[in-house]
Amino acid sequence: MSYIIASDLNQALQILRDSKGQARVIAGATDLFLQTLPAELVDLAGLYETTQLEETGGLLSIGSAVTHASAARSLLIRSQAAALAEACAMIGSPQVRNIGTIGGNVANAAPAADAAVALVALGAKAVITDIAGQTRVEAVEELYAGYNRSTIDSSSEIIGRLLFKSCAAGEGSAFMRFAPRRALALPLVNAAARVRVSGRRIEAVRLVAAPVKPAPTRLFETEALLQEVIPGPEIWPKVEEAAAAEVEVRGSMLRCSEQYRRHLVGTLAGRVLKEAYQRACAAEGGET
Amino acid sequence: MKKQTINFELNGELVEVHTEPSGSLLHLLRGQLGLLGTKEGCGEGECGACTVLLDSQPVNACLIPAAKIEGKQVQTIESLSNGDTIHPLQESFVEKGAVQCGFCTPGMVMSAYALLKVNQDPTPVEVKEAISGNLCRCSGYKQIEEAVLDAAEKIDQGSRED
Repeated sequence: MSYIIASDLNQALQILRDSKGQARVIAGATDLFLQTLPAELVDLAGLYETTQLEETGGLLSIGSAVTHASAARSLLIRSQAAALAEACAMIGSPQVRNIGTIGGNVANAAPAADAAVALVALGAKAVITDIAGQTRVEAVEELYAGYNRSTIDSSSEIIGRLLFKSCAAGEGSAFMRFAPRRALALPLVNAAARVRVSGRRIEAVRLVAAPVKPAPTRLFETEALLQEVIPGPEIWPKVEEAAAAEVEVRGSMLRCSEQYRRHLVGTLAGRVLKEAYQRACAAEGGET
Repeated sequence: MKKQTINFELNGELVEVHTEPSGSLLHLLRGQLGLLGTKEGCGEGECGACTVLLDSQPVNACLIPAAKIEGKQVQTIESLSNGDTIHPLQESFVEKGAVQCGFCTPGMVMSAYALLKVNQDPTPVEVKEAISGNLCRCSGYKQIEEAVLDAAEKIDQGSRED
């Protein structure tokens, strides 16, 4: 029966090994703390390895315990992964963002977790180490076992960091959400996009919306509409229509009706794509 | 969970407590340490009434497991006044009518205090952002925003006179 603040990742893994499935890892614990806490906890929030934020060779590496507040403030993330900075700036409240972590946002597996939605649009992968010392790298969208259920076993696995290619010349990303209030509100719908252009033509596009399924969901049909296209003003209404038609959503007492959610998915999909596209074009001209 | 010994800095003083590690910082402050200035509103991180500073950052004390504060600095509303004089923020809250029932006030003041520590000349938008995690159900937010801006000015004038 204990609460241990780990001093490094190896020690954290050792504690998990020794506890034989009893101990679980936590970081900010802003969601977990409201549920019944397991008897043995290993706190990863302050580790050097999990709080680093760096770019090497065009690859952004974000420690799993980087807080939403630090990510939203980081010039590196704001310039190279705008969608993630925008998502992190909208989570909960300033108080929650000072404690909640990006890795926790993924591992908590909420269907419309803002940071996770941005990470999926950016193409992020989680680097996960288990107590046997094995490390696997898995796309963030593959880490959902169901609503609010992660495939990650927090009694034997730790997300060390999240990796994705930074937005280089000709690339842009954006995140938006619609919520009843501007702070302290769950999003009714959120969406994020990443776009790569060459000479204003869209070469690659990722569009993600939530909550659609348990995991942040790529809208492949809508993406296909924009592939190899130089978008003009006529395309955006079509994009909105396609995105709204593509998703299978349901209404919920917590958020909103099915029809309204579908409408919001369309509208936000159009807006994030347009914003990410404009940023990509600006970045192509070296105007970031 | 059995009790653990936790050492931390509370309002500038080193303290050692023997407490339930997965109890909340809020209950540690109010229950065991008798500091009743920090309020319990929702108890689930939605209202900001329990805002305290953890290593200078505003956080919801209701969401912090007590064991997390080991080796850290915690600052509560009690630290803002020495018993004789009050902080310019507190003065401005009174003067600008930013207090009605007062329940949100300690949390509001702590969020504003955290802002003014890093930004001595905030814009109204920055003030709104800083208190966006604090709910007030009686006054609306206008007077609170005015009070924070007023306090920033007072502190600025004070530092020029020094």
